[in-house]
This record gives sequence, C-alpha cells and structure tokens, in this order.
Amino acid sequence: MTHFDLAGISFILFAAAAAGFLTCGSLVRMLMFLELMLNAANLALVALGPGAVSQGYAVMLFAIAAAEAGVGLALILSLASAFRTLDPGNIKELKG
Amino acid sequence: MILDLAIYLFGGLAIAATVLMIFQRDAVKAALLMLAVLLCTAVVYLALSAQLLAILQVILYAGAIMTLFIVALTALPAAWRDKPAPASFRGVLGLAAAAVLLAELLKVAGPLRAVCASKEFAETGTLGLARLLFGPFVFQFELLSLVILASIVAAVTLTARRRA
Repeated sequence: MTHFDLAGISFILFAAAAAGFLTCGSLVRMLMFLELMLNAANLALVALGPGAVSQGYAVMLFAIAAAEAGVGLALILSLASAFRTLDPGNIKELKG
Repeated sequence: MILDLAIYLFGGLAIAATVLMIFQRDAVKAALLMLAVLLCTAVVYLALSAQLLAILQVILYAGAIMTLFIVALTALPAAWRDKPAPASFRGVLGLAAAAVLLAELLKVAGPLRAVCASKEFAETGTLGLARLLFGPFVFQFELLSLVILASIVAAVTLTARRRA
C-alpha cells in the first residue's frame, strides 16, 4: 500500500462523485454528490498528509462540510419554493 | 497485511456504492447508498489510524448531514421530487467525463509514483491532535465557529423569507 494507491482510491471516489454531480437531474442529489466530492478530498488529505497535521485540517473540513450542507439545503428549499421545481434544467431565469 | 486489505475492500465498496448511486432512481435509496459510502470511508479512516476522524465521520457525516438530507427529501412536496430518472446514456456519458477527470488527476499525481513511499501506520493519538488543534491551529479552529454562525444565520434568513 503506497501513497499512490491511496491517492488512486480517493481520486476514483472523487471522479465517480463528479460524474454523479454532472448527470443527476435534481438539486438535492447534486448537493449529495458535492458532499461526496468533499469527502473524497478529505480522504486524500488524511491519506497523503503528514500524520496529525493533516488530521487537524480534516477536522476543520468536517465543520466546513456541515456548514455547506446547511446553507445549501436552505438555498435549495427557497429555490424550490420559488420555481416549483427541483430540476436545475427548469430554472432558467434570473431575477434580480 | 490486514489493514491494506481493509483499505482496498472498503475503498472499493465506497466506489461501488457511489457508482450505484448514479444509477439509482429512488431518492431515498440514493441517500442510503450515500450513507454506505460515508460509513465505508469511516472504516478507511480507522485503517489509516485516524480514530478521531472515523468517529467524527460517523457522528457528523453519517449522523447529522444524512439526517439533514432525509429531512429535506421528506419536506419537499412530492410533485417536485426527482422525477427525471437519469437516462442510462446520460449516466454513461457522465462516467466517461469522470474517466477523463481521473486520468488527469492521476497524471498530475505522477510525482507521487516516483516517491512511492510505503504508508506506515503510525499511532496518531487523539491527544496529539487535540494539542495541535488547541495549540498552533487555535486561531483557525476558533474561526470555524464564525463560519458555523454565519451558516446558521444564512439558513434561518433564507427559510424565514420563504415563510413570509
């Protein structure tokens, strides 16, 4: 098990999550895949970084991810109630 | 070595669950697959001797964030929910894009292959991590509370305007 193998695992996770983010047709699902991308980046940080320092940064990234999920879901709820849809393809107009 | 085996097994399980999630039509089932990915990642953390991170992953990601997603899925009216089941050709197209992205990432990580150090499983104690977080990193760590506060204010403001 080398650093390159660990990097490969987290890169594959990131790429699969990115594929889901690009193809899914729902805002909630997009946020879920975004969380998985952040999770993969966190895994790379822990696997490749030097011991305790990278784990400290990973703990901080957990808090960032929680904040991002909260704001993202609030945004999605207000967007969905304004446009009556969750399909990002149907949200075409910007008002300002 | 059993730890290497655990990393490969649970990393592979996480990747498989992510790919299954792309082709899953039911939103709640997709959320449960995401839970599987997060728990597998927690086991990988454990095998990388990051015990505190594994516990935090279960509590924060698999507990708090997943609950948030399930609540959001049930709070949204059924008519808006997730009707466009992803056509499989779109999924395959997305996987092709992911393959390109993966190739680029591995190309960028080329220097790592040259180093190719064997990952040693050091005993990173929780005490050392706590000393780091409340010692040299204390400013960044306290700054996070501001981030959380800002996100709370933003979430309350957004949903309050919706109700008004």
